[in-house]
This record gives sequence, structure tokens and C-alpha cells, in this order.
Amino acid sequence: MNEFSTLVQFFFSGLTSGSVYALIAVSLVIVYKVSLLICFAQGEFFVIGALTMVTLTSKGLPMPLAFACSVLISAAVGALVERFLIRPIRDASVGSLIVMTIAISLALRGLALLIWGKESKILPPFSAGKPIGVFGATLQPQVLWIIGITILVLLVIWLFFEKTTMGVAMRACAENRLGASLMGISTEKAAFLSWAWGSGIGALAGMAVAPLLFMQYSSGVMPMVKGFIAMSVGGLASIVGAVVAGYLLGVVEAYTIGLISSQFSDTIVFTLLIIVLIFKPSGLFGATRSREV
Amino acid sequence: MRRLGRYWWIILLLFIALYPPTLGGMSAYKSGVLIFVGIYIILAVSLDLLMGFAGQISVGHAAFFAIGAYVSGILTAKYGASPVLALIAGMALSGAVAWGVGRPVLALKEYYLAMATLALNEIIVTLIIGLQWLTGGASGLRDVPAFSVPGFSFDNHVHYYYLVWAMVLLVVGSSVAVARSPFGRTLIAIHSDETAAKTFGIDCARYKVRAYVLSACYASLAGSLFAHYMGFLAPDDFGVMTSINILVMLYLGGIGTIYGPALGAVFLKLLPEFTYQFQDYELLMNGIILIVVLVFMPRGLFGILTGIKERVFARSAR
Repeated sequence: MNEFSTLVQFFFSGLTSGSVYALIAVSLVIVYKVSLLICFAQGEFFVIGALTMVTLTSKGLPMPLAFACSVLISAAVGALVERFLIRPIRDASVGSLIVMTIAISLALRGLALLIWGKESKILPPFSAGKPIGVFGATLQPQVLWIIGITILVLLVIWLFFEKTTMGVAMRACAENRLGASLMGISTEKAAFLSWAWGSGIGALAGMAVAPLLFMQYSSGVMPMVKGFIAMSVGGLASIVGAVVAGYLLGVVEAYTIGLISSQFSDTIVFTLLIIVLIFKPSGLFGATRSREV
Repeated sequence: MRRLGRYWWIILLLFIALYPPTLGGMSAYKSGVLIFVGIYIILAVSLDLLMGFAGQISVGHAAFFAIGAYVSGILTAKYGASPVLALIAGMALSGAVAWGVGRPVLALKEYYLAMATLALNEIIVTLIIGLQWLTGGASGLRDVPAFSVPGFSFDNHVHYYYLVWAMVLLVVGSSVAVARSPFGRTLIAIHSDETAAKTFGIDCARYKVRAYVLSACYASLAGSLFAHYMGFLAPDDFGVMTSINILVMLYLGGIGTIYGPALGAVFLKLLPEFTYQFQDYELLMNGIILIVVLVFMPRGLFGILTGIKERVFARSAR
């Protein structure tokens, strides 16, 4: 492998993790915009989605059906969590809300431990096929699936929030809660739906990488933290910002691991996060705030 | 009843002092459990100064726990330093880190602050893993000696138990004093309304940083005590999960009350002792307990206790 193909290889691994970070960041942003809450349990939906799909496929369910069921199950869990655990303390302080979502993440992780045990599980790839050679670097077919799923999810989000009445109503809640409720939009229903969307997308991220990553009940912590970083760098409330920042983070991380230091890549990434938070709290793409989904 | 209410702390002190020779039976295991309880009380109370009083969220308190533990561990195990000096060095470094990052980080609010403190925790942990030649990396730091002062070594579990609990009393007592002092009242003022506090001419940033430094020093003390008790340090014990556990203790016991978080630490650290046969259920149970507390008793366990006390006193006064 020559210099150039090594660089291409790093780029591919950056795209792979970048897709995951982008999806998780988007799921966090949707929940945040509509219900003004950052959910520390988002990593748990990542794990629940992946492990549900592992179980369903091992029970003999065909891949597409298992895929759809896992997304729906995760979305339902997220929506129920909002309805029965978040709504009762809706007006509590930010500190209490953060701790509530942490409590939910502990409970869901504990539940995953009871259901799936401690051992790591991996999913078979979505399609058989040899790795593809590009400029001397190898590309796993699953990576194409991951990128394809990411693009599809973003397209569906765009269609939902731009073209459907329900989506427009949810955007109205994000824009102005009081105004939206005066127009007869139920902000409670919007928050409920935003959790369903958020947990569904978080689950999708987990399912898409499940063939490349060994998953266990506690695998959700790091992806969630990286999703936070992408979300903060993207400006907290911007879906476009979150996607760009997610891919940026993935690629920067891959090149840091490859070229600078694999041991200190996280140190560097987290230091960059603190610097961005301090000097550019509206995110790197803060200027595009007025024009967003 | 009223008299009992006023002198409860004498009963508590007697219990702590007499526990090992009576109920504990001088056993290494039982005193070990209470040593951990004590260390976590220090952590929870120190975080309460920052979160409950100054109102600054931290999801990375274990960063200072880690600094204290590793400074003590490295200086005593590798360079043969005196444990007392190492402990002071750990507190100095923790305080310096808190002071250095405090002003810019504490200018952030709510979720941004939560994120930044979480990042700080991750930075410390990844540095510990990465700086293998110094810290032993992921495989851990071995052979941390027992705590000693010139002329006396706390190598016995019961001796160490008394040392840790003396520190607990010192930290809790001084925290209560701080909370009641003008400094503590200023923190509460900043917490309830920063703009109003500023209008009264309070330099909010400086007060917040001071609270952060104090809180970091106490957490570092807990780290040093942990290092000498364990004799072995691994980065896993200082991750974001540890920070989250401390946060859970705060809300479980009742944030902003000093005694509440201490109670939360006792509860959360003793619970596994009674449920060890259901180890796999521990995570789920902690989550559910915390959810129940947040939804049904926002003032925490301490709030319930004071509620009961008030009710009893109201009756006896009648």
C-alpha cells in the first residue's frame, strides 16, 4: 500500500464512523429542537436497535423484516420513555432533566444486560460480497450500506419535516412553543413524536454498524459521547450542522488515529470540543442557524 | 424526641467510632465496605458544593478523583514520596487544573457546561491510558504503598477506616461551615439569579471558580485515600460512569443539602451489599430507584427524612 492509498483508507474509516456520529447527532438534535432536552440515553437506543436485530435475524427473520421491526421497536421504546418518564417532570430544572435521562440510560442499559447478557454479539453483513478496491485501499460493502442508510434517513427526515403537516407542526413547536400551542398544535404530541424519531434514528445507527462492530449492553456510551460532540460543534439545534460536524469528526478522528497518535486521538478530539464550546458556543456552523430544517 | 433530634450527630459519631470493634467485628471486609462509603461521601459532598450551591453542573467530577489517586499513586509507588506530601501535591494539581479551566468552562451554561465537564473527564482518562510510562496505562498502576505519616503506618484496615472517616467528618463539617458562610450564601445567590447577583456587584466568575477549586481539592483527597486503600489503580474506576454515579448520589440524597448527598452515597454504596446475589439487576435497579426519586420525591431521601422529622416534632410540640 502506498502513501496515497493509506490516506484513502483512513478516509473510508472516517466516513464509516462519521456516518454513525452524524446519525446519532441528528437524533439528539431532533429531540433537542422539539422538546428542549438533551437525551443522555441516546446511546442505549443505538445498542437496543443493534441487539434486537441480532436476536431477530438469529430467530430466522429475513433481514429486511428484522430491520424494520428493530427500528419500530426502538422507536416505540423511546416514545414510551417520553410519555411515562419525561412528561411527568417536564418543568423540572435542567439539572434534574439531565439526571433523569441518565437514570433512563442506566435503566435501559440494565434491561439490555438482563435480556442479552454480557457477551458481545455481531450481525452478519447486510449483503454478501468481496471488499472493493479503490485506489489501492479496500472498502467493505457494509460501508456502502451505512452511507446509503445515512443518506436515506436524511432524505426521509427532510421529507417529513418539510412536506407533511405533522412535520411542519413539529417544526413550529421547535420554533416557538407558545405560538405553536396557540395555533392548536399539541406540544406534548410533538415531544412524543420527536422521541420516537430520535430513538428510531439512534437505533438505525447501531444496526447499520452492527456487522462491523461487536456490540454488548454497554457499547452505547462512546458513540453517544461522540454524537454529543458532533451536535455541539454543529450548533446544538441544526440538523445540517450535526451531519457536517458528524462527518468532520469521523474524518478528523480517523486521520488523527492514523497520522498523529492512536493513543491520544480521543484526548485531541475532546480538547477540540472544549475549545469549540468556549470560543464558538453557537457551533462551527452557527451562522447558518436561521436557515435550517 | 426533640432532644434526640438535636443530638443525632453524637449518636452518629459514636456509631462510627464503635462500629469496627462491635458490629464490624474488626473484619477487613466490613471495614473495607465502609471505607468505600466514606470515600464516596467525600466525592458526593464535594460535588454538592459545586452543583447544589454554586449551581454548576458537572458530569466529569471523577476527573479530580483521578488526579488525586494517580498523583498519590505515582509519587509514592514510583518515587517513594511521603504519602502526606503526595496527597497535598494531588490536591494542589487538582486545584490548579480546576483554577486553569474554571473561568472559561464555568462561563458555559447548562448543556454546554455538562458537555465540557464530560470532555474534561474523558481527557484525563485518555491521558492516563496514553501516558503508559508514567501511569501504567490501561493495565494499571501497581504497588501503591499503605498510607503513612512519619512514625505511623495505616496498613491495618481498622486504622485506615478511622483515617478515612476522620477525613469524611472534616470534609462534611467544613462543607457545612462553607455553606453557611458569606461565601456559601454568595454561591446560593449566584445559583438562584446570576444577573441579580452581578447587579449587587458580585464577581460571579471568581466565586464560581473558587467553588470549583474547593470541590476539586476535596475530590482529589478522596482519590488519594482510594489509591492507598486499593494499592492498585486502573483507569476504568475514573471514567464518566463514576462521575455519573456521583451525580446519582447527589439527586438520590437531595441536592444542595450536604447531608443529603452523603446519605445518597451511603445508600448507593451499601445497596449492593444487600443485593449481591442479584448483581445483574444492579444497573436496572439503580436506574429505577433514581427515576422514582426524581418523579416522586424531588427533594431526595434527605428531604423525606426532614419531612418526617418535622411531622414528628409538630406532633410532640402539641
